[in-house]
Amino acid sequence: MRCKLRLLLLCLFQFTFFSYGQNKSKNQTTNTQLSESFLDRTECKVGFVGTVFWSNGLSVGAEYLWKESEKTKTRKDKERTNTHQFLFNGNLGFVTNFSSKTDTGAYTNFGLTWRRTNKKGKQFNIELNPLGYYRSFLPETYEVNGDSVDKIFLPGRGYYAPSLSAGIGKQRKGKVRSGSYFNINYTMRTPYNSGALPTFSLQYGFRFNFKNKKQ
Amino acid sequence: MKQPLADTIKIGFLAIATLLVNACSNDHTLSNLDATVFVRHKGADMPAYIKGNANEKIFLITLHGGPGGLGLGFRGNAFNQIEDNYGVVYFDQRGSGMSQGNYSEDDVTIDVMAEDVLALVNVIKRIYGNDSRFFLLGHSWGGALGPATLLKDQSEFLGWINVDGSHSPKDLYFEYIRNFERVAAAQIELGNSVPFWESVYDELDNVDANTVTLDDFNQLNTLAFDAEEYLNDDGIINNAENGNVKVSDYNVLTFIWNLLKIQSILDDDLIGELSFTERLAEITLPSLILWGRYDMVVPEFYAQEAFDNLGSSEKKLVFFEKSGHSPMFTEPNLFAEEVIQFMNQNK
Repeated sequence: MRCKLRLLLLCLFQFTFFSYGQNKSKNQTTNTQLSESFLDRTECKVGFVGTVFWSNGLSVGAEYLWKESEKTKTRKDKERTNTHQFLFNGNLGFVTNFSSKTDTGAYTNFGLTWRRTNKKGKQFNIELNPLGYYRSFLPETYEVNGDSVDKIFLPGRGYYAPSLSAGIGKQRKGKVRSGSYFNINYTMRTPYNSGALPTFSLQYGFRFNFKNKKQ
Repeated sequence: MKQPLADTIKIGFLAIATLLVNACSNDHTLSNLDATVFVRHKGADMPAYIKGNANEKIFLITLHGGPGGLGLGFRGNAFNQIEDNYGVVYFDQRGSGMSQGNYSEDDVTIDVMAEDVLALVNVIKRIYGNDSRFFLLGHSWGGALGPATLLKDQSEFLGWINVDGSHSPKDLYFEYIRNFERVAAAQIELGNSVPFWESVYDELDNVDANTVTLDDFNQLNTLAFDAEEYLNDDGIINNAENGNVKVSDYNVLTFIWNLLKIQSILDDDLIGELSFTERLAEITLPSLILWGRYDMVVPEFYAQEAFDNLGSSEKKLVFFEKSGHSPMFTEPNLFAEEVIQFMNQNK
C-alpha cells in the first residue's frame, strides 16, 4: 500500500514538474510598465448604439487603462505576442425609436473591460458594466389617481441596467483616432413591468486618444 | 484637430436635440390626429396612439387581443376608413406592447386592467375636453376586457362593439372541442384538406375532454390558428390584408417578452375560470357584435351567446361569411361599413 502511495506521489511530482516546465517554455507573461500620465492612459469613444430597426442613438464614453500585460505563446514553432488589458470604462448614451416615440431613453454605465490585442492590432473585448442606470423618456404623459388627471413633467422611469458586451475592434497605434469597435450588447432593465426586461443592441464606434500625435 | 472635434460635438448635440424633439412632439389637430400619449395608472405607463378625425370629439377606444397583443395591430384598410370618420385610440394594455412600469404580479388583474381603460377615458377627456364621447371596441381577449370595463362604468360610453371577443374564457376549451368536431366533419365532407381535418380528431383524442388544463388549452388554441390557415388555403376564408403596423413601431423582443410574461400571469386566472356570460345582461349600451363565421379561435357559438345575453335594447349581430378570427383584415370594407354605421346611429 505504502509503495503504491509513493509511486503515485512520484507520478504527481513528475507531472507537476514537467507540465510547469512545458508552460515556461511556451507561455510567457510580462507586465507592461504604464505611463504615469492619466491622459496617456485614457481614451474617449463615441459611436452608434441601437437595434437598427427599433432604436438608434449615440453613445460616448471613456476608458482608463488599469493593467496591461504581454503574453507570448509559442504555437507550431511560431511565437505570438498578444497584449491583454484591463480597463475601467464608463458610458453615456441616448437612444430613440424614430417611428414610435415609445422607446426613448438615456443610460449610463460603468465597469471593467478586458481586451486582447494581437500583433496586427485586431482586438477582442468583453465589457462588464455592473453599475448601470437607464432612464426612459416618454412623450406627453398623464397620471390618473381616481378622478384626478395630472400632466407629468419630464415623464419616464428609471431602471437599474447592468450590461455585458462582447465584440471585436481594430487598434490604430499612436493615432488620434486610436481604434474602432463593434460590440453586441446585452442589458437588463429592472424592475420592468412585473419582472426584468432583457434588451440587445449593437454598438459601433471609434476610440480617440488626444495625446497621440498622428491624425 | 480642435476644429474637427468642435464640429463633431456640434453634430452630436444637434443629433440629440433632433432625437428629443422627435421623441416629444405630438399633433393634437382634431381633424387629423397623430398623437402618442402615455397613461400612468397604478404603476404602469401605457401608450395610447390617438389617430384619425375627431372633429366631433368622438373616439373609438380599441382593446387588443392576447392578452399581450399590440394596440396598433388593428391598423389596416378597415381602421383607415374608420379613422377618416372618427378618432381611434389604439391602446397598449398593461404589460403589453411598449407598456412599461413597475408593479407586482398581483397588480396584473382583469379588474385593474379595466380600471386602466377608464383611466384612459379620463386622460382623453383631459386632453380634448369633457365633451369627448366614446365607443369601446374589443377583439378576442379585448372581448373579455371590454365587458369588465363596462361593468365597472358604462356611463362613459355610447356603444360597445364586440369583435370575435371572448367574454367567457372559462368555457372556451370545451367549445373548442365541439367546434373542431363540427367543422372537421363539414370540411371532410366537402373534401377540403382532408388529411389535416382527420389529424384534428387525433389531436382531440390527445386532450382531456372533461378537464381543462393550460397545456391542453394552448394545444387547441394553436390548432385553431392552424385550422384557419387551412380554411384560407381552401378558399373558405378570404386572404388577410396586411395591417399598417410597421416593423419599427414595436421592438419585437420587448413585445415578445411582454407577451410571454403577461400571459404567464393572466392565463391561470382566465382559462377555465373567467366568465362574464351571467353578467352581460347588466350591459345596456347599444351593442354591435361582429364575428367571422369560421372563427376557430373564439367560435361562432360565442357570437350568439353574447347577442342573447347582452342587456342592450339596441343590438345587432353580423357574421362575416368569408372570415375567421379577424374580419377586419379579411373583409375590411364590410367591417368598416358596419362599424361606421353603428357609430353614426348611436353618436
